[in-house]
Amino acid sequence: MPAATSDPEFMTITVQVKRYIPETEETRWDEWQVQALPTWRILDALHQIKWELDGTLTFRRSCAHGVCGSDAMRINGRNRLACKSLVKDLNPDKPITVEPIQGLPVIKDLVVDMDPFLQAYRDVKPFLIAHGNEPTKERLQSQKDRDRFDDTTKCILCAACTTSCPVFWTDGQYFGPAAIVNAHRFIFDSRDDAAEERLEILNEREGVWRCRTTFNCTEACPRGIQITQAIAEVKRALITRRV
Amino acid sequence: MATEILTYEYDVVVIGAGGAGLRAAIEARAHGKSVAIVCKSLFGKAHTVMAEGGAAAAMGNVNAHDNWMVHFRDTMRGGKFLNNPRMAELHAKEAPDRVWELEEWGALFDRTKDGKISQRNFGGHEYPRLAHVGDRTGLELIRTLQQAVVSFQQKDFKEHGDYEARVKVFQEHTVTRLLKDGDRIAGAFGYRREDGRFVLFKAPAVVLATGGVGKTFKVTSNSWEYTGDGHALALLAGATLINMECIQFHPTGMVWPPSIKGALVTESVRGDGGVLRNSEGKRFMFDYVPDVFRKQYAETEEEADRWYEDPDNNRRPPELLPRDEVARSINSEVKAGRGTPHGGVFLDVSTRLPAEQILKRLPSMYHQFKELADVDITAEPMEVGPTCHYVMGGVEVDPDTAASTVPGLFAAGEVAGGMHGSNRLGGNSLSDLLVFGRRAGLGAAEYIDGLAAGGRPAVSDADVEAARVEALAPLEHDGGENPYTVHAELQQTMNDLVGIIRREAEVAAAVEKLAEFRERREKISAPGTRTFNPGWHLALDLRNMLLVADCVAKAALERQESRGGHTREDYPAMSAEWRKINLVCSLDEQGLAQLERKPVPTIRKDLLELFELSELKKYMTDEELEGLEDAK
Repeated sequence: MPAATSDPEFMTITVQVKRYIPETEETRWDEWQVQALPTWRILDALHQIKWELDGTLTFRRSCAHGVCGSDAMRINGRNRLACKSLVKDLNPDKPITVEPIQGLPVIKDLVVDMDPFLQAYRDVKPFLIAHGNEPTKERLQSQKDRDRFDDTTKCILCAACTTSCPVFWTDGQYFGPAAIVNAHRFIFDSRDDAAEERLEILNEREGVWRCRTTFNCTEACPRGIQITQAIAEVKRALITRRV
Repeated sequence: MATEILTYEYDVVVIGAGGAGLRAAIEARAHGKSVAIVCKSLFGKAHTVMAEGGAAAAMGNVNAHDNWMVHFRDTMRGGKFLNNPRMAELHAKEAPDRVWELEEWGALFDRTKDGKISQRNFGGHEYPRLAHVGDRTGLELIRTLQQAVVSFQQKDFKEHGDYEARVKVFQEHTVTRLLKDGDRIAGAFGYRREDGRFVLFKAPAVVLATGGVGKTFKVTSNSWEYTGDGHALALLAGATLINMECIQFHPTGMVWPPSIKGALVTESVRGDGGVLRNSEGKRFMFDYVPDVFRKQYAETEEEADRWYEDPDNNRRPPELLPRDEVARSINSEVKAGRGTPHGGVFLDVSTRLPAEQILKRLPSMYHQFKELADVDITAEPMEVGPTCHYVMGGVEVDPDTAASTVPGLFAAGEVAGGMHGSNRLGGNSLSDLLVFGRRAGLGAAEYIDGLAAGGRPAVSDADVEAARVEALAPLEHDGGENPYTVHAELQQTMNDLVGIIRREAEVAAAVEKLAEFRERREKISAPGTRTFNPGWHLALDLRNMLLVADCVAKAALERQESRGGHTREDYPAMSAEWRKINLVCSLDEQGLAQLERKPVPTIRKDLLELFELSELKKYMTDEELEGLEDAK
């Protein structure tokens, strides 16, 4: 990429990263000055640091287009994807802070242990359960029935929602919004026969009732999923036993 | 602790957890085999998630004229007849079943009015053929396969009390060497990214499903995992690669802002009505319809526009030519000084579809441009240009079993060669993953069943030790060069010298440069420890990228013609003689790429008869067509 610092558009930004060094169990803030364009993403600034200033800086990223959900981080105090946050949309006059997402154990620097998050996902049985004969072609589904759960199929399992949830921070046993979103995706799928089973799982002590409707999750979701609404729909289904 | 190697035993080790890897793992598990899935990223984050357009399958849901024979024809035309015809046949025949199976497993699809899976138009496909979910089809495909793995794990828990009794995902692990016993596969060696501990998999069968090589180029739509690992592992294990010169440059990547240059703009934009214009406002693709495609493409804007509503009585718009044609045309327009301010051409959907339709059909594109380039695609055109997107070349495999030339080694998906010939049609990748992922899993299971009792190959201690020493080398050099510097120079070299248009002297210069990079890599040093150390990981990935780049450059130098994803300025025409030749790459005694010319498998007569003789004559020699009569 860049480093053509003669480009007048380039400006100096300060990036502060909260690092964790596993060998010494030390947590510290490191700070770098980076020559960046306003259209750079925070991911570009982190790459610049890793490639040219400190090759040991560690973070996850994969597709870098906001689809794979690998690079959720806490940037200026808010959960976002580093590949979708532009320098110009933050205040470049002040240091930009980058921390790991909260509530999951930190492995190194910005990399957290995703296992507890993924276990909650697995617990809601995130796969279609359908009884009866297997179809030879496709099952028919009207566009309307398909649209019913469109929103919750957009989830990229980045954990931005779950790790912005104050209930999850204080109670690591809570399923968290992402798992509920993924349960919603099947509960409201007209082809699925296991809504009851899934609702029972979410009815448990650490299930959907722990949600305090703070809307942090909806704000944090980089895919724009109406998470709080999806959780409310699951709650309503639990009360009315109708989907 | 650091010297201790974590050792596991499985029937099948699948390297890569994208569409092909997961489909292979599911098939092997369904046949009772124990399976390790090894992937560099987190489970479910594979590059497949970025596929936007859809999976091509001749289900005939939108146009009942469609069938496997039409799909086969389109695929061969797209690949300019360099395809392995048996692979193209199997793919066209089996893709519908694989898509229906995915639906059965719960995948979400857009639907037709009568509730069937909807299908959309795409470049090179005669009929609307791509099963899709908006523009996030790859994400849904990966999620569905991931869910299928989870569902197997829950079944295994009920039976064995252990979720991972039969299928275990080793996420954030990298394999650096395949191990053999004599000429057969015996296992794989690698490391755990989290703490750098070494892992050894003892297994009689390995399925490579590692995807492509895009990270050897500077401007690419590919994600960081695409460092040619499977291609390199295969070569190092003694397998062969074919036609590595065939690299697809997708015509429409973002050209601005600079940090995101190369990011993909889905072909669905054109499939759904988007058009390409130059700086003079002209729909220039009408000027670039090559002779072989002239019959199928419209000559006027009026006819092209009527096609969307009445495809039976009009010809297709030239924006929907195969990708290689569109990419070269864009390149020519920019070179002729008719490019946009940022060096691309305009791709416009804003004057073609109402805003709400764009938002519904292309939501990811809308957000990508709005958020990253501050362009509202419902109101203004996008600026786009070619980006390195896909490698058609890959591991030489048996079409039916996906077996490579090394017993026990299988390959499926982008890492395998042959299926797409010299150019892949959009939408044929997701279907390829499913069709040949399944076949590779099955091939591996049957191979294991065929091993004599007690015939499991054994890993040798010496090989493990050699792999360990090799992997540690970058950490043990002090004061050497930064791996990122070598990587950046490699990418620039491949982009400049072995890019979309190739010239003999430039490609030869690239071959020289690569030798220099290989020397520099030997002395690279990665500061830090083995704990999640990205510099160390890159230093190891660089070995693979340099091997692959060597194959690409040497093959690009050798093939003296232009075909699909290989364009030689000094040999601009297709040659019927060259069509018969596969360039087969292996490693010589010094570990350098060497080429051999082998015949492309012949096309069966019944498959040839699907084409008009006059069309075949454009591709093949008279000798090859002897005795064939025009069916029409």
